Amino acid sequence: MQWTVILKKELTENWRNFKWLWVPIVFILISIMDLISTYYMPIIIESAGGLPEGTVIDIPMPSPSEAMLMSFSQLNMIGVLILTVMSMGTISGEIKSGVYELILAKPVKYTNYVTGKFFSYWLLMMVSLLLGLLASWYYTNLLFGELALSQMFVAALFYACWLTLVIAIVILYNTWFKSPGLIAFLSIITVIILTVMTNIFGHVLGWSPAKITEYISIYLHTGDLDIEIWFSAIVTLLLSLACILFAIVSLRNRAID
Amino acid sequence: MELVSVNDLTKTYSKHAVVDHVSFDLQPGKCVALLGPNGAGKTTTLRMLAGFIQPTSGSISFNEDTLSKDFRKFVGYLPQYPSFYPWMSGEEFLHYAGQLAGLTKKEASDRSNELLQLVHLTESGKKRIGKYSGGMKQRLGIAQALIHEPKLIMLDEPVSSLDPIGRREVLNLIRELKKDATVLFSTHILNDAEEVSEEILLMNDGKLIEQGPISEIRGMQQTVTIRLAFEKEPKFIHEKLKEIDSVYQVTEENGTFDVSVHDLNAARDTIFSRVQEEGWELSLFEITSGTLEDIFMKAVNK
Repeated sequence: MQWTVILKKELTENWRNFKWLWVPIVFILISIMDLISTYYMPIIIESAGGLPEGTVIDIPMPSPSEAMLMSFSQLNMIGVLILTVMSMGTISGEIKSGVYELILAKPVKYTNYVTGKFFSYWLLMMVSLLLGLLASWYYTNLLFGELALSQMFVAALFYACWLTLVIAIVILYNTWFKSPGLIAFLSIITVIILTVMTNIFGHVLGWSPAKITEYISIYLHTGDLDIEIWFSAIVTLLLSLACILFAIVSLRNRAID
Repeated sequence: MELVSVNDLTKTYSKHAVVDHVSFDLQPGKCVALLGPNGAGKTTTLRMLAGFIQPTSGSISFNEDTLSKDFRKFVGYLPQYPSFYPWMSGEEFLHYAGQLAGLTKKEASDRSNELLQLVHLTESGKKRIGKYSGGMKQRLGIAQALIHEPKLIMLDEPVSSLDPIGRREVLNLIRELKKDATVLFSTHILNDAEEVSEEILLMNDGKLIEQGPISEIRGMQQTVTIRLAFEKEPKFIHEKLKEIDSVYQVTEENGTFDVSVHDLNAARDTIFSRVQEEGWELSLFEITSGTLEDIFMKAVNK
């Protein structure tokens, strides 16, 4: 099937350019960075010295759910940035280099081309995210106390919806512009605008994709899934689908020069 | 029965017609050269025929294809500057292109090996394309265009970026290809067109200004030029040439005379009888007009 052929090619490409190595590693690192540095902060401060004699260092240890949340907030910043950078040239780069013309001269369906690429990056994101959060869960249990693995998984799945949208946005911009730098820039700006708007108009934008992180924090604290998180997740997935459909249409109508 | 008919094909980019009401038919098993200066609209025409840019108006119909509008499966296309995935090997790329075109894994790999042999890349098949030379890439480009055994093979300027050896190889390859398929290739090198193609399409400024078999187009020329040179220039030769019936212009440059005539046969007879009668020591007699170069220049400057 054509779709599998394209997916396989994308996976091979990302394997050969080491994305399957560095993206998971970076996700793991950013997930556990804060946990470890928070845990060892008193020791770090002590050994760095410079504090007057007799100072009492008393940093309250975060609860397990607070610890996991630190990972989510790191992923929300650096993780989004990495997803954008890793997929910023996936279509635009092929158009720019000219290989797109060869591919397009074959009876390739735009739908297969766009969704094959999307899915290959989605897989990479999912694997990286799960590995990162697993590492974070391990250290949380080791250093801060117990948190159910199932709770981590549920949170991860909801969070994956948000990252799915990020990739879909990058793919959409890929069909509009040729410069990977511009695509990354615009994608990040879009995510920032979405987040800021949600913060300002949070009372009316309860279903906003950017709210998912907030709902995850509630879930980790209380263990209950509110109806809002489902709303948010469904809206996020629908928006992702819209981005992908729009990307297919844009690519089909795009002039080649 | 024609393989493809093109009717009133037009493509406009921001009100400027890059291809302007072009109509022609392609017969199976023919090699057709698409000629024209840079910017004439050749590439845009080929891309529309390849099926991946949509015409603004007009139609392209393949007689093979009665149901679907996607005729890319009948077409093999080589762009002017083919570019590949540098991390793939030549063999992998052919394999990929074949499967995209709908071949099974097995078919794609058999066909890849066959084509690597045809374009003399068997030894470099396992090397990364990033390490290929320009000529090797061009040949790989031809191989990928042939992978799904298309009925129509289109090559955009296949020889203009190659050295003389590469050029010769590609021209020979085109001659092979036209045994099984229709070949349409664009070029601005007239010699190449003359060498391998039976028919030409001449474009300028988006319009098709001349089309047909080369011999026919040559015959349509109204005037012919005869080039003459002498070992020893006869006296008053300039005037004598001018007196011949149907000669209307004689120009001289470094002892070579270009004689423009309306009626080639009459002028030729007269010149040869004079050569005998008056003992002109003729060293060169050449009919220079009617080459594509002339047709090209005349049509383009019209």
